[in-house]
Amino acid sequence: MSRVAPPRGAFVDHPVGRTFGPPHDRARNETVLEKALAELPRFTRSGEIRDLHCEWLAGGSRAWEDELRTEMLHER
Amino acid sequence: MAFEYLPIMAEAGAPKPPRVLAAPSNPAWCPIKKPLGRSRVALLSSAALRLANQKPFAPRDDTTYRLVPSDPAAGEIVIDHHSGIGRVPRQDPEIVFPRTALAALAKRGVIGALSPHHVSFMGGLKCHAEIESEIAPAIAGELKRAEVDVALLVPY
Repeated sequence: MSRVAPPRGAFVDHPVGRTFGPPHDRARNETVLEKALAELPRFTRSGEIRDLHCEWLAGGSRAWEDELRTEMLHER
Repeated sequence: MAFEYLPIMAEAGAPKPPRVLAAPSNPAWCPIKKPLGRSRVALLSSAALRLANQKPFAPRDDTTYRLVPSDPAAGEIVIDHHSGIGRVPRQDPEIVFPRTALAALAKRGVIGALSPHHVSFMGGLKCHAEIESEIAPAIAGELKRAEVDVALLVPY
């Protein structure tokens, strides 16, 4: 994100293509979106990126990364 | 540490050349003029998504955009972007285009109002100069006409 310099950036640590949560989880969609919008008044300069501290799996597990790597390499 | 996407995308795209990331020549900055609870909000999506009854995007290098009604009841969303990550978002486009969640925030008063429409275009275009000089200003004009205060881009 830093390389394309959006005026205000919000980092969501979810697998690519699942920015607002897993399919059909409306409560999570709304939580992530509300967090992103709530950051708006906190930005002070162009190019700033703020971490929304969203975890894909409970406890911060990174187990999703291997699955995603396989998906990205084989589903093209 | 955050997941490193670019090396995997380069490997997945081989033997094509790796993608070029271009920063804007003139970084944008608009001050926030209203509290969120009084702001009209639009979504921007680079997923080349549209209503099922709107004209499909061309598979490559399509520089057009679609105005997608913000009412979640307006119709089914179709994702035309060719990216290999599309299997999951096609099951539920709301996870990259939270139209329903934004409408819920409007109903709760978290945002002031919905823009009448959101805007979708094709991400991954290589014509960076045309994006800056023509496509982005055209989309900005649409948002201005809709009196949008806040536009949230969800990259795909």
